[in-house]
Amino acid sequence: MALLTVENLSIGYHTRKGFLKSVQGVSFSLAEGESLGLVGESGCGKTTIGMCLMGLLPENAAVTGGRILFEGTDLLQLSKTEIRRVRWKKIAMIFQAAMNALNPVHRVGEQIAEAILAHHADISEETAMKQVESLFQVVGIPPDRINDYPHQYSGGMKQRAIIAMALSCNPPLIIADEPTTALDVIVQDQILNAIKDFQNKLNVSLIFISHDIAVVADVCDSIGIMFAGQLVEYGTVKDVFNAPMHPYTQTLLASYLTLDKDTVHLNSNPGETPDLINATAGCRFSERCAFADADCSLNTPEWIEISPMHKTLCSRFK
Amino acid sequence: MEVRKFVLKRFVEIFIIFFVILTVLFLLFRLAPGDPVTRMVDATLTPEDSQHLIAQLGLDQPMGLQYLYYIKNFFTGNFGNSFHYGETVSSIIWSRLPNTIILFTTSILLSAFVGVFLGKIASWKKGTKTDTWMTLGALVCHTLFLPWLAMLMIWIFGFKIGWFPLNGMISPEIWMDPSSGVWLKILDVLHHMVLPLATLFSIHFGSYLLLMRSSMLDTLKEDYILTARAKGLEEKTIRNKHAAPNAALPVVTSVGISLAFSLSGGALTETVFSWPGIGRELVFAVSNSDYPLAQGSFLLIAIVVLMANLVVDVLYAYLDPRIKY
Amino acid sequence: MTANPSTQPSNIRERPSKRFPTIERLAEGWAVYKENLIGKIGLTLLVIFALMAVCSFFPPLIDPMYHPMTGVDPIISHSTGPSWRHWLGTDFIGRDILCQLLAGARIAFMVGISAAFMSIFLGTIIGMIAGYAGKIVDTLLMRLADMIMVMPTLLVVLILSSLFGQLNIWTIVLLIALFRWPGVSRVIRAQTLSLKERSFIEAAKVTGASHFRIIFRHIMPNVLPLSLLYMTFRVTSAIIIEAALAFLGFGDPSTVSWGMMLQWVWKTGHMFQAPYWLLPPGICISLLTLSFYMLGRAMEEVLDPRLRKEVAQE
Repeated sequence: MALLTVENLSIGYHTRKGFLKSVQGVSFSLAEGESLGLVGESGCGKTTIGMCLMGLLPENAAVTGGRILFEGTDLLQLSKTEIRRVRWKKIAMIFQAAMNALNPVHRVGEQIAEAILAHHADISEETAMKQVESLFQVVGIPPDRINDYPHQYSGGMKQRAIIAMALSCNPPLIIADEPTTALDVIVQDQILNAIKDFQNKLNVSLIFISHDIAVVADVCDSIGIMFAGQLVEYGTVKDVFNAPMHPYTQTLLASYLTLDKDTVHLNSNPGETPDLINATAGCRFSERCAFADADCSLNTPEWIEISPMHKTLCSRFK
Repeated sequence: MEVRKFVLKRFVEIFIIFFVILTVLFLLFRLAPGDPVTRMVDATLTPEDSQHLIAQLGLDQPMGLQYLYYIKNFFTGNFGNSFHYGETVSSIIWSRLPNTIILFTTSILLSAFVGVFLGKIASWKKGTKTDTWMTLGALVCHTLFLPWLAMLMIWIFGFKIGWFPLNGMISPEIWMDPSSGVWLKILDVLHHMVLPLATLFSIHFGSYLLLMRSSMLDTLKEDYILTARAKGLEEKTIRNKHAAPNAALPVVTSVGISLAFSLSGGALTETVFSWPGIGRELVFAVSNSDYPLAQGSFLLIAIVVLMANLVVDVLYAYLDPRIKY
Repeated sequence: MTANPSTQPSNIRERPSKRFPTIERLAEGWAVYKENLIGKIGLTLLVIFALMAVCSFFPPLIDPMYHPMTGVDPIISHSTGPSWRHWLGTDFIGRDILCQLLAGARIAFMVGISAAFMSIFLGTIIGMIAGYAGKIVDTLLMRLADMIMVMPTLLVVLILSSLFGQLNIWTIVLLIALFRWPGVSRVIRAQTLSLKERSFIEAAKVTGASHFRIIFRHIMPNVLPLSLLYMTFRVTSAIIIEAALAFLGFGDPSTVSWGMMLQWVWKTGHMFQAPYWLLPPGICISLLTLSFYMLGRAMEEVLDPRLRKEVAQE
C-alpha cells in the first residue's frame, strides 16, 4: 500500500476579491522510500499542497474537496489535537534557510531537542541532546556548534540544522519546500547530496517542492508538473524528461540551456498568470498553449494515461 | 565580552550627553535676561556671605574660568544655596531623590509587567470582545490627562470615600511617634503611595499593552512560528516560549524611549499629590524663582533619566542574543 | 491552523485605473478608513471639537459677560453650578465656564496643530538631510536628536521659563516644536535611506539633478505620507504639554486653555466642591487627545497596506 495517497485535492483561499481556487483536483501517490518532485512557477499551488499536508494552511484557506490518505487515515478528517500529534513525528518539513525558520532567541540545539521532547514523553533532556549531536553528525555540522544561536550560523549550516530538525523524530515522510533556493551553487550541491544521502540511508519518503526542474531531476524518482493549481503531468523523471507530453512541460524543459544541444535558442513562456478567481472550466493553460484549439478553453481536459507511470492532463492525447 | 564593551560605550555616550546638557545650561544661564549674580545669590544674604558665595561660584571671574568653576562645583556637589529653604541645594535634592525613585521605579515596573501580560492576552484573543475592550480601555486610559486624573483620584478615593490620604508621602503623626515600628512606617508610605501609583499606572500601562499586542501580532507572522507549529507544539507553548520573548524585545526598547515622558508624568503626579520628590521640587523652585534649586533639581533629573536609559540598554543587550554573541 | 502570509497565492493582480490614479488611491484610502471603527469615532469627535472651537467666537458677541477672560457677571462673583444663565456654571470670579471651554478648544487646536506642523517640518527636513547626506552630517544630526529625545520636554520648558520669565503662547509652541522633532526625523531618515538606494534616485542623479532637487522633488513626496501620519501623534503630545504647563502655572496668562482652567480649579481650592468646573476641561483634553490618536491609528492602516485586515499579497 502506498504511504501517501492524495485524491482529487482542491484548496482555495477567501480573498477580498473573491474565492481563489489555488489547487484544483490534484491526485498523486507516494510509496515508502519514494521521492516525488513538485515543480511549477510561483503561485502554481505547490507550496499550498505542502502546507495542506502538514495541516498548516492559513485561516482564510479552505479545502473544498478530496482526501489525503496517509498510512490509511484521511488527514483532512483529523481533529486539531490529532493533527498536532501527526506533525513532525509522521510528516516533517524542511523549510528554506533564507526564511527565518529558526527562533533567534533560542539556541539551535535546544530548538531541535524541543521537537524530540514534544513527541516522546519518556525521553530525558540529556538523551534528547545526545540525539541532536548524532543528528548533527548525519547532516555534517560540527558538534561544538550545538549551543550557538541561529544568527551565528552561515546559510548552509542553517539549512543543515533545519534538515537535522526535520529528521529528529524519524518521520516516514519529509516535505522539502525549496530547500536550496537562495543558497549559492556550491552549497546547493552539498545540501542536495546531504538530502539524497539521508533519503537513501533512512528510506524516507520525500516530496521535494521546487521551481527548479533541474534540481528536482537530480534528487527525485518521480516528478509532478503543476500549472495554475493543476497537476498537468506526472510520471517518473526519466519518462517525463525523455518524452514530455504536456505543452507546458515542453516549454519548461525548453527554457533551459543544456550542454548537449547546439541550439542556443532560449524559449521563454509568453503570457501572464491565469486568473484563478474566475477560472474557466476549460484548460487553464490554453491561453498560452501553442497547440490550443477552440475546444481547449471550453472543455475540461482529462487525465490521459500514456503509460501506467506517466499521465498528463491534456485533451490532445485522447 | 561583547556586553561589557557595549555597556562601556553607552556609558561614555551618556557621559558626553550629560556634559553637553551641563554646558548648555551654563550658557543659557549667562544668556538669559537679568543679572546672573542675583540669580544665584540670595539678595537677603549679608555682604560678606554674598561675597563668599560669589567667590565660591566664580561669578566674578571671566566666562572661561567661570565655566571651570561651574564644572568643579558640580563634581564636588556644590550647587549653591536654595533661596527658599535656606539650606544647600545638594542636601535638599539628595533627600528628595529616594522618594522619586521609589514612586517612579515601582510605577514603571508595574505598568510594564501588567501591560505586557495583558497585551499578550489581547493579541491572542484578537478580534474578540475581550480584545476590543482591552484595546479601547488601554487607549482611553493612555490619553487621560494626568493631573486631571490625579485630581479625580484624590477627590473620589481620598475625599469622598476616604480610603486614602489626600496628599503627601507620610503621616507625620506616625513618623513622629517614637513607638511606631518600622513596618508601620513602611505601611504608611505604601498607603500614601497607592493613589499616585494608581494614577501613573493607569496612564502608562495602556501604551505597553498596545505595543505588546501589536508586537505579538507581528511576531506571530514570523517564519519561526510556522516552524514551531510544524513541530507539533501546543499553541500555549508557541505563544509563551516562542512568540512572547521575541515580541517583548521592542517593548523593552520602548521603555527606554518613553522614560522621558514617564518622568514628566512623575513630576506632575508628585506636584498634585504633594509627594516630596525631585519633580515637585523642580516645579516649586521654578515657581519661586529659586534658581539654584531649580538648576540642581533639573541636573539630578537629567542624571536619573540618563541612568535609567543606560539600565534599559543593558537589559536589552542581555536579553537579545544577537547582541550578546 | 494558521501559517504565514508567504503561503498566500501570488496571482491576484490589481490594475489601478490609468486615468486618475491619485483619485482612485484616495477613494480606496477612504474606503479602508471608513471600515475602521476607531477612525470613524476619532473623526466624529474631532469634528465636534472643531465645531466647539468655531463656536467660541459667538458667546462674547451675545453678551460681554460671556467673555472667557474678562467676562464679569454683574450678579455672580463666585463659583456656581450649572444654570440657565451659565450652562456649565461659573468659575471662582463669576466667569462663564462654557465659554472658557469653547475658547480652550480653539487654543488646543491652534497650539496642537502649529506645534505639530512645526515639529514635522523640522523633523522631515532634518531627517531627509541626515538620510541623504550620510556620514558626518548624519551622525551629528542623529546624536543631536538622541540628546533631545532623552530629555523630558515638559521639564526642559519649565527650566527655560525659569530663566526667561513668563512665556507667551507662541514661544511655548516654538519650544514644543523644538523638542519634538527628533522622533519624526528618525523615521523620515530611515525612509530616506531606503529610498536613496532606489533606481529612480540613481536615474535623477545621472540626468544631473542637483541634490536640492533630488531631495525636494523625489524624496519628499515619498516621505510626506509618513510625515502626515506622525503629525497626528505630535498634535497629541503638543496639546498635553501645553496643558501640563498651563496647569502648573507656566502657561500664557492671557490665553484661556483647558490646562489653565484646571489650574484655577486646583489653586483656588475648588477641587472637591465644583465637579462642573473640574470635569469638563479634563474630559475635553482627554477626548481631544484620544480622537487625534484614533485618527492616527486609522490613518496608519490606510497608509500601510500591510496592516489592513485582509492580506491578499502580490
